[in-house]
Amino acid sequence: MMIPLLILTLVSLLCSSLAFDLKGRVVWNEICPGIGDLGQAKVVLDNGNLYGSVTRNGQFVIPEVPSGTYILSVVAHDHAFERLRIDVLDTDTLPEVRPYVPGTPLSPPSPVTLPYPITLIPRARYDYYTPQESFNLVGMFQNPMMLLMLGTGVLMLAMPYIMKNMDPEVLQEFKERQAKITDIQSSIQNGDLKTGLSAMMGGEEKTSPAPAPKPQASAARNRGKNKRR
Amino acid sequence: MLTIVRFLWASFAIWTAYALHPSEAGVVDWHKALLGVPLTRPDFHRTTGAHGATRSVVLTATSNNVIGAVHPENGTVAWRYLFEDRDPVVGYKAYNDRLATLSGPGGATFRILDVNSGHLLHELHLHSADSGRLFEPVNLGVAIAFDDSDKSKDTFVLTNGHTLRRINGKSGDIVWGWTSPDQTSLVVYSKVVTTSDAIYLIGLAKSFASYTVHVSAISPDNGELLSDADVPSSIINGPQGLIVVSHEGTRGKSVRLAWLEQARIHSVALTPQLKDKPTIKKGSAYLQVHDIGLQEKGLFVATKEDGSGRVIRFSEDGALKVFWEFADSVKSPKYTESTYAGGLDKDGWPYIARVYWSHVFRQASAHVLAPHLAEGKGLVTGFTFPFETQKHGIIANLWQQDQHQWTREESLADIRVAEMVELPEPQLVASQVGIEETESFGARLRRQLADAQDFPQYAINFAKRFATGSYASASSSIAPASNDTSPLSRDTFGFRKIIVAATSHGKVFGIDSANGEIIWSRVFGLGWAAEVGGRIFPLKIFTTRTVSDGDTPQVVIVGQRKADNSLVDTVAFHIDALTGEDVSGTSIGQDILQGQDVIAGALVEAYLFQDGPTKYVVLLDEYLQVHLFPDTPENADSFHKVAPSIHLPLRTGTAGSHRLGGHKVSPEKEFTGRHIAYPIWTASLPPNEDVRSIVTRPHEPVASLGKVLGNRTTLYKYLNPGVVVVLTSTSTPSGPATSCGVYVIDGTKGTILYHANLPAAGGVCDVKAAFTENWLVYHYYDDGSANADQAKSYRMVSLEFYEGSGVDDKTSSSDLSAYSNDTTRISVYEQSYVFPRGISTITTTSTKFGITVKDILVAGNNHQVQSFPRRFLDPRRPNRKPTAEEQEEWLIQYDPLLPDDPKRVLSHRYQVARIRKIITSPALLESTSLVFGYGVDLFFTRVAPSKTFDVLNENFNKAQLVLTVAGLALAIVITKPMVRRKRLRERWYAS
Repeated sequence: MMIPLLILTLVSLLCSSLAFDLKGRVVWNEICPGIGDLGQAKVVLDNGNLYGSVTRNGQFVIPEVPSGTYILSVVAHDHAFERLRIDVLDTDTLPEVRPYVPGTPLSPPSPVTLPYPITLIPRARYDYYTPQESFNLVGMFQNPMMLLMLGTGVLMLAMPYIMKNMDPEVLQEFKERQAKITDIQSSIQNGDLKTGLSAMMGGEEKTSPAPAPKPQASAARNRGKNKRR
Repeated sequence: MLTIVRFLWASFAIWTAYALHPSEAGVVDWHKALLGVPLTRPDFHRTTGAHGATRSVVLTATSNNVIGAVHPENGTVAWRYLFEDRDPVVGYKAYNDRLATLSGPGGATFRILDVNSGHLLHELHLHSADSGRLFEPVNLGVAIAFDDSDKSKDTFVLTNGHTLRRINGKSGDIVWGWTSPDQTSLVVYSKVVTTSDAIYLIGLAKSFASYTVHVSAISPDNGELLSDADVPSSIINGPQGLIVVSHEGTRGKSVRLAWLEQARIHSVALTPQLKDKPTIKKGSAYLQVHDIGLQEKGLFVATKEDGSGRVIRFSEDGALKVFWEFADSVKSPKYTESTYAGGLDKDGWPYIARVYWSHVFRQASAHVLAPHLAEGKGLVTGFTFPFETQKHGIIANLWQQDQHQWTREESLADIRVAEMVELPEPQLVASQVGIEETESFGARLRRQLADAQDFPQYAINFAKRFATGSYASASSSIAPASNDTSPLSRDTFGFRKIIVAATSHGKVFGIDSANGEIIWSRVFGLGWAAEVGGRIFPLKIFTTRTVSDGDTPQVVIVGQRKADNSLVDTVAFHIDALTGEDVSGTSIGQDILQGQDVIAGALVEAYLFQDGPTKYVVLLDEYLQVHLFPDTPENADSFHKVAPSIHLPLRTGTAGSHRLGGHKVSPEKEFTGRHIAYPIWTASLPPNEDVRSIVTRPHEPVASLGKVLGNRTTLYKYLNPGVVVVLTSTSTPSGPATSCGVYVIDGTKGTILYHANLPAAGGVCDVKAAFTENWLVYHYYDDGSANADQAKSYRMVSLEFYEGSGVDDKTSSSDLSAYSNDTTRISVYEQSYVFPRGISTITTTSTKFGITVKDILVAGNNHQVQSFPRRFLDPRRPNRKPTAEEQEEWLIQYDPLLPDDPKRVLSHRYQVARIRKIITSPALLESTSLVFGYGVDLFFTRVAPSKTFDVLNENFNKAQLVLTVAGLALAIVITKPMVRRKRLRERWYAS
């Protein structure tokens, strides 16, 4: 009666010496709390000829793996896992588990070895969507372009009053500077960079600390204003 | 200024990732989760929860190798478990809250699933796939039985026909195993019956001209053989005729084995010692015994020779007795033969149903027997229901009494060919087009006046649209309202099309691409083979008339009909794509769509030919004779004219030794009255290289003939129309493949333009290629065998072909003579990338004018459909930091790793199972391409590889634009009086 059992044990022993059952488990974490979240997933070696399915408690067994070097990856729909390099050895020792970066050569192997049985940790949950941009009044005015425009507008409106309340001497100085900037700008516009630069340098020397040249648009507006005055 | 900046930003944003917004999910796309056509009779399974509440599911294993559970109340999928292709399901059984499955050859893998959620609880490998014994049918030699004597949830599993194992229900480990000592004998076990005393293995031993029943009794505790006996018997028709009935009596469970022998029911009681002698039930002669799934309740059905059905019950005293005879079940020309089914209700009472089709009333009838009613004498209730035979080829239907509950069109899980067909414009449907020339002046005036009545409505609509800004948007739903009865018409942007899909189960569907609803469906007629039976396998589908040709669109489906008498014919079905009506007129007034036999034999290849407005299908038979469909004199004339200029690269030969040859068509008809294609060249491939498939370029417009580089030189695209891509596999005789090949061949003269040798990982060539314009992309698995240092990974290789030896070398390849030497003067750019995963199919997007950048679409092995932008796959990506000129071309530095961007997963959270093919079709908007993937599931979406540049983006901030304009207007209003006052003052105080 015991003969069949004996045969079975012998057969299974024979199998185990020829090939190895690779065991491991997926560790549930906050990214993937359980099998319901993970869905039907499998752990594959290389291109999927050898594989094992992930069970409810996270365990998997890849049966009858012949000796060799394999890349282990997880085929899951929504979750990203790291890849591992597995070396199943001819001898009775346990397989070697190493981290693996896709696209890198297999040799030399990474010096870091990971413990066996394999533990796989869900690294990320795929995010398939980009949030929709919705209209937001505050957001619209936080836009730097918008702020710049508003600032220019305010300055434009406030300029006459500022000028009016200015000290005549300061006003004179300001007008001079304005004229210089206009000169620089016109020279830059005419393509005469050298003159523009030298004028800028000279101007800065004279009226230091001088403000940086204003953007062209606002300067042009100011110029217009001055003419009118 | 601001708006200009915004537009600039928008144009920059083209290069940022295109992704779906959460609100668009399910609006621009749809997904139909399917199971496949059931292989077995679906089982109702009821579980009782902790609080006594019962839940039920309908379990079925399907031809797509899926085990699925369906909610019986509404027909939606509760869960499904997808098995690998090389791991076919051979048996399953549900008990309480768990479902045990056996899959692979001989039952190599055992799994336990949760019956309510489909979660995998245990997976156990029982034997290697190579040592699995293959039986015919596959479910012979495997069986699952649950230990119902106690609550251990242990399972008894019979695999390979001779090994029995007891598997612990909690840990999933093997408790004990028993293997038949005499494996070489001809005993193959096929049934397992459990009692508290013994496990009975029932099998058949082959003897002269018949089988003998063999029973082994095994101890459930330690797996020891208690006794072993041959039951004197002779069974002719295999293990299907073996029925084990059991009865839960006062003295425990008693089991009896019954079988049909020489028209008598024989039976034997099963005891651990197996001492019982078979008894013969006297009385009527029976023709057949039916297992109706109620053996546990001691019930089965036997049909007599005259066709009448009897319910036989295993009664308390251990004898088999006739319990009921169905009235009117005698064979009659008025009815079809009855089928019988059994089931249990909520309280566990058995019911037996008899269903038949009445030819007289053209209705199906069902009689349900409730054996426990009427004081145990049984009560029959009957009802009839209409069942549309002309429509339902293969279905999973649920009827409750005579109320139709739901239908699932599961044959859609087996689509072979599909095509998207454009819909006509709404006006075209409504008004009478084409009668303008003939109608009189008065009639025209009347018609135009009638049309003018609608003008006020139109004007109001126009004003409303203008005021509210509610224009059609590229990301809005195009699905019609559920109560919409207007005829099929396209939407503003041409996103709505009709998908004509033909399945291998002999049915063709018209599917609305807006929401996936089936608009029409037809069953293929078998023609003359209807008498002997047969199947139709659709091979090709062609759109022979489109809306732009001025009438309703038409398609031609070319299929192969395999009759049961082994004759093969090629049949063509000509269908109106909008209604499913037969165009050719052969099946007018008939329920079933009849085709036209085009070739009395197999098909080699079929093409669509276009000559001006007329389109017709050209078919080649095994003798390379040319057949036309529709075979009209005009088409024949048209073909006769173009025949001398046709070059056809063809794949011919038998399995394993396919060859590639170029053919020309004879300019004159042969004596058979047909043109014949004759070979002009054969590809000089090694003799052991098998041509697996030919990939041709889709017929699409090419927007630009060249590519202007950053330094203002031009690379001209190599667009020779005859170029084909050939995928091959090299193998040793009758062995696995040793290497795979990719060739690019000039199909007119057979010149090899490009050749790559790829490794055959695992002895299988699984190269997938997509070819468009001058761009070829192929995908394969590199197992690193070529080089020890090389990484193992999936690879995607991108190739571009340009004319001449370099820049500004133009040879006009698209209209070059086939015999010019310049056709082979090409330069090739090539780059290989590491791809994140295996794929099942690959294709490119297609747009109306071909201006939009083409993306690569793949169906990954993780059940996703994902797009990969051309920018990353550009073979001209430099290996260093890109120069300013290269940056102008938007080239980025080469990186071997292709980024796996989840934002580009078109199918997002949908589990799109096993997509076999993706087809793409242009929309009216140049920017957008429609994508339809089919396999087990159906998935439809639309993509805009360069973003929707031709419509305002959904994100376009209309409010901001309006506010900015309003703000500027306000500023003018405020500053105008100020300026006026200032001017006035300036005049007063002018110096």
